[in-house]
Amino acid sequence: MDAAASRPAVVIDNGTGFTKMGFAGNVEPCFIIPTVVAVNDSFVNQSRSSSSKSSNWLAQHSAGVMADLDFFIGEEALIRSRSSGTYNLSYPIHHGQVENWDTMERFWQQCIFNYLRCDPEDHYFLLTESPLTAPENREYTGEIMFETFNVPGLYLAVQPVLALAAGYTTSKCEMTGVVVDVGDGATHVVPVADGYVIGSSIKSIPLSGKDVTLFVQQLMRERGEHVPPEDSLEVARKVKEMYCYTSSDIVKEYNKHDREPSKYIKHWRGIKPKTGATYSCDIGYERFLGPEIFFNPEIYSDDFTTPLPSVIDKCIQSAPIDTRRALYKNVVLSGGSTMFKDFNRRLQRDLKKIVDARILASDARLGGEGKTQPVEVNVVSHPIQRFAVWFGGSVLASTPEFYAACHTKAEYEEYGASICRTNPVFKGMY
Amino acid sequence: MILLQSPSRFILQVLLNRVQNIDKGVELDCHSVEFDDVRYHIQVIISFVMCALRLKSKKIGFCRPGMKFLCHVEVLFVLFHNHLFYTLCQYPQFMQLSMSLPTPPPETVFYGGLPFGAIEAIKATYGLIAQILDPPKDGYNLTMKLNLAKLPEDEEEEHALLVKVASLREVVLGAPLRVVLKHLASKTISPGIDELVALVHRPKESFFLLPEVDKVTIVFPMRFNDSTDTVLATSFLQEFVEARRTAGLNNAPPCFWSYSPPPELEGVPTQALSANAGFVTFVIYPRHVEGRKLDRTVWSLSTFHAYVSYHVKCSEGFMHTRMRRRVESLIQALDRAKPDSEGSNKTALSRSFKRLSVKDLRSSSNS
Repeated sequence: MDAAASRPAVVIDNGTGFTKMGFAGNVEPCFIIPTVVAVNDSFVNQSRSSSSKSSNWLAQHSAGVMADLDFFIGEEALIRSRSSGTYNLSYPIHHGQVENWDTMERFWQQCIFNYLRCDPEDHYFLLTESPLTAPENREYTGEIMFETFNVPGLYLAVQPVLALAAGYTTSKCEMTGVVVDVGDGATHVVPVADGYVIGSSIKSIPLSGKDVTLFVQQLMRERGEHVPPEDSLEVARKVKEMYCYTSSDIVKEYNKHDREPSKYIKHWRGIKPKTGATYSCDIGYERFLGPEIFFNPEIYSDDFTTPLPSVIDKCIQSAPIDTRRALYKNVVLSGGSTMFKDFNRRLQRDLKKIVDARILASDARLGGEGKTQPVEVNVVSHPIQRFAVWFGGSVLASTPEFYAACHTKAEYEEYGASICRTNPVFKGMY
Repeated sequence: MILLQSPSRFILQVLLNRVQNIDKGVELDCHSVEFDDVRYHIQVIISFVMCALRLKSKKIGFCRPGMKFLCHVEVLFVLFHNHLFYTLCQYPQFMQLSMSLPTPPPETVFYGGLPFGAIEAIKATYGLIAQILDPPKDGYNLTMKLNLAKLPEDEEEEHALLVKVASLREVVLGAPLRVVLKHLASKTISPGIDELVALVHRPKESFFLLPEVDKVTIVFPMRFNDSTDTVLATSFLQEFVEARRTAGLNNAPPCFWSYSPPPELEGVPTQALSANAGFVTFVIYPRHVEGRKLDRTVWSLSTFHAYVSYHVKCSEGFMHTRMRRRVESLIQALDRAKPDSEGSNKTALSRSFKRLSVKDLRSSSNS
């Protein structure tokens, strides 16, 4: 084993909203930054438009080169784009899939050199991908990692599998379960049996953390709260993160709010970015209505009206029959948008209701001959749910089996990028 | 970002976080590896002592388990006889910061596991808040105990000191370089150092210093593992030397690149001279180390290799971007050049689609 294996592996979990990165063996990621790159496009357009006319193309070429090097990522990118007009924000990942490989490569470059400050040649890398990623994307990732960064070894793990592995240390290891991954840009319900993703049963729904934010924003706008328009999305996001919770029953919750407004209605204070004046607004029903879109999607959109619990139920019903009991027993939450208070309890209750109704119906159909065993439904929530995927990666990458499961640079040079298409399940996983 | 910053973002973040929540008393144990195999380990160990207290007041209802009523003290449970049981959390203000350095090659001299001048530099920079533990933690070269309670009151000063703690790498690894350059600033030669000095900067690799009264010559043998990197680094360094000659950079330190070892390195063992990307020489004059410039010069010189390797990676990324753009434009050109076959395909498709419609079916059945 080479020297790189003696150093901890680098674990980077690129999500649509946030990127979690750090070293294997740590409990928390070193950095959690928004997945965004501020690119300076001003030079590029200039040189393109006038390259035919002007003679000093060399100067413009080098200006273009400088523009390519002139970029920022994460919080810094947001600050830069706000303060000056020369930078455009680019979000390299959409709905869990990498869309823009140029900015993604730059993003990784900054993550490695500026944030983690490590030499990529010294470390094995564990990157994550969302389920249903095309094998070509894995090849692209492999190409960038091996060609640009010269990493000695690379493993591309599927996010839900890592989320399952995160439970590894907290309780008895269980690599069978359904992962409900509600991120900022994508929501997937992924059944995993013994560490293998059952690809045909993956369900994804078009509701995610971003939709909660949009819904909260819409509610606040419709009520006529005085939030400056340029700030309203940001305020909605903060409201979502700080005040939203899951209710057990909407009607009861409305009553509660109406009876004791002082207890339930919160206030938000902010400063207008343009004028610097302060403003304040009330936060009322959107506190529980925001997360409600997962349970009653019809309040948000007309296109998609299947609640999350029945999606999970359908997903498990489509899985192989011998895994279903085990899947119901271990429904694992992951992703930042499952952090709402009591989200797991509501989900468990609703799922249990569906399952019990089905058992009752089947008992009635059989008419008393042989009773069906009750199905155990269990929705597990970790305290580290927000970066469960990263933590799972950190746990797996610190096992000795990880290094054997990695694709090495030598293999890449021998066989090409196609080796990255498959990533074996290894022993540390179960 | 063109130059690496001297404070490590990670350590700074941990420190700031800790200072803000010093009363929470959470245990912490994390590690991190920087470029050139410098490793850090940060640890906060908290021991709990369980105590019982007899309360005089009858109002024990005010104390609930889990409640914190003094900093570092948490109520565990309340018993009937007015006894309050609580845990006292000890020493949340102490933090252990360990650091391991790259393995030194044989020509480099370490004193007690550290480069010369490092201990003095640590004491001078951190003063009271840091205490060096001897022996260091297993597997590390240096372990410091930081007392966060002794940080200065003033917020700006506090932040400046925390930034300094996060720049531990510069303080320790740059110590010998700083000693030499300080003497250069005062135009003397430090006692005991009059010939070629080797300083470690990467695992089993070192760079060389030749101190003289009015200048210090610094030679970096550049090595890269990957063949592509070597080629890129070589041309980068040639351009680098070329760029030094432009008019705006007259005051910058003179800089040379050669493929073979420069004459200054005579007498150095040959295994230390195997560099596949040539040798870079800088000549530092007193004007480069005056006052505040000293810190930046020390940092830039001690991370020169990382600087070059970062730029090699940048240019690889840049080339990939260009290649992708080129492929895209070629695909576009191909798409545009496609003959009308696709269009006729479409009509064929639509015809077959039409044939399936009821009218056509009827007409075809009629005929």
